[in-house]
Parts: sequence; C-alpha cells; structure tokens
Amino acid sequence: MLLIEADGKALLAEHGVAVPASVLVANATIGDLPGDGPWMVKAQVPVGGRGKAGGVARCTSAHEAAAAVQRMLGSRLKGHQVDACLIEQAATGEERYLAVMVDAASYGLRVIYSSQGGIDIEQSGLAWGRLCPPHAGAVAEALAELGAEADVVALGRELANMLLECELALAEINPLFVSGAGCVAGDAKLVVDLGAIERQPRIAALIEARPQTYADANRKLTEGFDYVELDPEGEIGLITTGAGLSMMLIDELTARGMKPLNFCDIRTGQMRGSPARVMRVLEWVTSRPSLRAVLVSVFAGITDLAEFGTLLATGIEQTPNLRVPVVARLIGRGAADARRILTERQPAVFVTEDLEEALRRIEACA
Amino acid sequence: MIGTLSHITPVIVQGITGRMGRTHAALMRAYGTNIVGGTSTRTDAKDAAGVPVFASCRDAVLATGAIASVAMAPPLETLAAVEEALAAGIRLIVTVAEGIPLHDALKIGRAVRRADATWIGGSTPGMAIPGQIKLGFLPDVCLRPGPFAIMSKSGTLSYECGYRLAEAGLGQSIWVGVGGDQVKGLRFADLLTVFFADPRTHAIILVGEVGGSEEEECANALAHLGVRKPLYALIAGREAKEGVSMGHAGALVMGNVGTLASKTQRLAAAGARVFGSIEAIVEACVQDFASMRT
Repeated sequence: MLLIEADGKALLAEHGVAVPASVLVANATIGDLPGDGPWMVKAQVPVGGRGKAGGVARCTSAHEAAAAVQRMLGSRLKGHQVDACLIEQAATGEERYLAVMVDAASYGLRVIYSSQGGIDIEQSGLAWGRLCPPHAGAVAEALAELGAEADVVALGRELANMLLECELALAEINPLFVSGAGCVAGDAKLVVDLGAIERQPRIAALIEARPQTYADANRKLTEGFDYVELDPEGEIGLITTGAGLSMMLIDELTARGMKPLNFCDIRTGQMRGSPARVMRVLEWVTSRPSLRAVLVSVFAGITDLAEFGTLLATGIEQTPNLRVPVVARLIGRGAADARRILTERQPAVFVTEDLEEALRRIEACA
Repeated sequence: MIGTLSHITPVIVQGITGRMGRTHAALMRAYGTNIVGGTSTRTDAKDAAGVPVFASCRDAVLATGAIASVAMAPPLETLAAVEEALAAGIRLIVTVAEGIPLHDALKIGRAVRRADATWIGGSTPGMAIPGQIKLGFLPDVCLRPGPFAIMSKSGTLSYECGYRLAEAGLGQSIWVGVGGDQVKGLRFADLLTVFFADPRTHAIILVGEVGGSEEEECANALAHLGVRKPLYALIAGREAKEGVSMGHAGALVMGNVGTLASKTQRLAAAGARVFGSIEAIVEACVQDFASMRT
C-alpha cells in the first residue's frame, strides 16, 4: 500500500533524508506558510501521477496557495478523495530520480537512478536500473556504477536501510533535488507491506493515525478481510470471496454499464460460524444511498455453503437497512442446502448457481 | 520437477495437527495424493489424518523419504517452515499462507534458489495434476484430466474457469496456482517452459491480474520461445483502484506500472489470446478444443 507523501516524508526524515519545510492542511484556513515562497501545494492521495491529474500546484503567494488548497480539498483524484494538502517550500537544485524497490523476479533489489528527474522519467527511457542483493552496501555500489555522485550514493544507502528496516516494497524520490547544500527529497513514494505490519509498529501507527485516508488498510487490519470502496456513489454492493474473482466481477459489471460500489474478499473459510463479516459488509454497502442491489458470489471448494447460506440469511435479518434486492450466486459444496435455507428464511433473495444468470439479474435491478 | 509429480510422489504436510493441516491432509489423501506424514510442534500427537506425525521435517524425511511438502503455516511462520523443509532435503514446497511478509518472501526465494528446489506460493490454493496428485486445496469438483495447463494468480477466478471447462468435458494436464503475492515461487514465465515440454498439455490458460510485471515477463518469454502451444489469457482488475492492493498483495497498480492495458498489449503482441470475461475465455477454449472433449 502506498503512503501519502506527508507520511512518506516523515519516514524519510526519520531516516536522515532531508525534506522541505512544510505544513499539512486539512481545511481552507492555511495559516502561516513555511519560509519564503514559492510553495508547492500537493493533494495528499496515495496515487502516482498527481501532477498530471491536477493535484500539484506551484504557488508564488499565500493567496494563490489558499486558492489551490480550496480547489483540491474535497475533490476526487484518481478515485481518492482529497482530505489534506501538503504545502511546502519549493526546493531548488538539479532534479534527479532515485528509487530502490523489491525485485520479485531476482529475489533482490532494483535500484533505478537518473540524473534527470521529473514527472515523465519512468516512461522516458532515461532511467537506468541495476539489480543487486538486498543489502544497503550493494545498493550504494549499484548507484555508484550508475554514475551517481557521492551525496546521492550516501542517500541511496540510507534509503536502502530504511527499505530493509521498515520492510517496504518501494522507496522512490522523484524529484530528488541536488545542490551545493546537499540532497532534498521533493516527493516521497513509499509502498509499505501490510503483511509485515505486526512487526512494524511505526508503519502501523502511521496507518492508524489516518482512518480516513487509509480506510481500506485500516479495515483490513481491524476486520481481517479485504474491502475496498471503489465508488461512494456505486450501485452494486459485492459480497464475494477470492480477490481475483472479485476484481473480475467488478470488471464485468462495469463493462455492462453498472457501477460497482466495492471490492470484497470476505474469505468464507475464516468466518467460523459467525455472520459478523456478512453484517459488516452489508452495513458498509447500505450506508451508501446510491446502493441498488447486492451481488453475493461464492465458489465453494472447501467451504460448506449450507453454513454460509445460514450466515447470509442471519446477516440479512440483522441488517434492517438493507432495502435493495439481493442476488446470491452460490456454487459448490452444499449449494442445494444453501438454496433451501435461503428460500425458507429469505425468500426474496434470488439464488442461482449460474454466474451469468446472476449478472443478468443484477443488471435488471440496476 | 512439476511435470514428474505423480500419485507415488511422497509428500508431507507441515503443521498437520492444526485445523487447516488436518483437514487438508485428509482431503489430499482422499484425492489420491501420497501423504506419508506430517510435522507438528505438538509433542503429544502421534498421528493425524491417518499418517504419522513427526517433530521435525528432518525426522519426517528420514522416516518417509518425502520429497515434497505442503506448508500449512501461518504467514509469519512460513519462512521458518521453508528453511526447515529445505534443510531436511525437501525438493518442492507449496506455501499456502496469505500475507507472507514481502521481505520474508525474498529470503524464502533466495533460500529455495540456493537449494535448487522449487517453491509454489504464497497466497495460493496449491497445484494439481488431475488424477495423480493434489498439493493444497484446489476443489476436486474443478479437477479433471485433460488438455489444458492452468496457471493462475487467483484461486477463485481459476476455479471458475477450470470448473466451467471441466463441465464442458475439457480438463487439465497440470494446474498451478502461482498465487497472488508480489514475491513468490514459480512465476508464469517459469511455467511456460514446463507446459511446453509437458506432453499432456495441448494449450495453456493464464489467469492473471493487475499489478507487478509477471504477465509482461511471460509475454517476453512467449515472444522468445514462440507460441509452441496456444495461450489463452484472462486478466482481472481493469477497474482496480490505484495505489491500493486489491486483496492480493501483488495486485497494486501505480501509475502505468502493472496496468491491465500493459499486460494485455504485451501478451497479445507475443501471440496470446487475451479475454476480458470468464465467459469469453471459456467459450473460446471450448470452441477451439471441441474435438478433445471427454
């Protein structure tokens, strides 16, 4: 999961990387700005390409900065609501690109460096990469081979240490400003590993501190399953198991002109006889007034659908706010029992084994 | 290693006295897998799922001659489980845990490579050669011997494809869940050569998803080797939200990296047929291989 720039920079600063003086603002009252202008105003959403999407503005006066903040706050940038803006003193110097990341194919690290930073660097073909073993010393050597000067090599070593200590997937600085005064990180793109969170208390604290910004990650950590809100004005709520299938259903619903509200991997195998997860998902999807229908899809290899059918019926009973049709596509072990249970307890639920039929039914509701 | 697995391959289950371990050891045995034992930290357990329980992999391997292991360990304990298995001489290990820390996965990958062993996982239902062996928990209802080799990042999405094809009389030669993690064992490109060499395999189904570069690597390998057997690909995540892992740790789109467009273009340019829905890929496979239906 990608951290917002402000959190990435906080982590960089803790690991000895210089960052510009800044303030984080969450409302239009911007207060005192750090140092002299010009300033950069940047929407704090965890996506790349913010500049091209209108989420970065260079401002020469406090008035301009306030206007930029006002424009960005509350808007949506690449699917994320902008809840905060970072205002920082614009750094100066030559722009470089530096990234250290986990390289899956070589079981090592990939170091990418370019003497020309900027927003298009990844596509420009000007950045050069080296693979190396997962050690800070090897990263420093790779950077030296790529032609980085001593300051940048030293910074790369710190970045690699941080990546290894904090168990990050990616640490990217673009642009990295280099001048006689040293190196300053103009941006920070750090990708954390939620799998390691139990032994990374600092990262856990960053995520817990922003329940809104990291809503999806916080939900995963507290609930133990995956739920990602895709569109707060979505129409189709999903209760599905399996990440790949859930993504595919979202693609297929969208291709048919429908608006899925959420991604969900409820993990039926971990429900252990409790309807709690079903109830949580129903609570979240019914909190959106745009909801038109709920699609349940479970392919049960191991899970007993009789048990899941019971939990689904209970979950629906316990969610009085649920006033839209439910289509349950249940296939596999115990599907006939699940159908019988749902027909008895929740006759309004449309039950089928056929995914295409379920999708057509949902289409009719939307 | 993968292609030579069969019903006689001796297999152990690490963590066999746990809830998952006991259940799946029994189900794998019922399928016909030669489960010869298991390991557990519980000292009172003498047997589980009808096979002997050992205190360590070393004891289990010495007593049974096992060469493959299914590690039913929690994510934070998977690295230790793999290290123990490799030290005992295990040649193939399947790790089913979801959420193995990324940097643990790097260490696992390096240890497996040093030992010249094979690793499948994590976040995987495992693998199977239908009619011969099942390592993990691919649903029996989907498994049927036949012409398609399946490789998939997603368990459930591959079940959908495998099940519908099996219903249509088209089964699988080898089925490998490479899993949804970013750093993993066998990758799509590794399996391409395995499937090309496997005489039972007539065509390949790749079930991918957004994030990472595995599909692109596979496209490179396909372009390099040539389309020796037809490759059908289904890739999920066109509508994935950027910057957020979609359930699978590996399913993370950032900027132009890991997008569906990049994967689709590269695979198609290399000669694969790429589909956007389950129905479309199943229909194409059924149409092209109608003569092989059983």
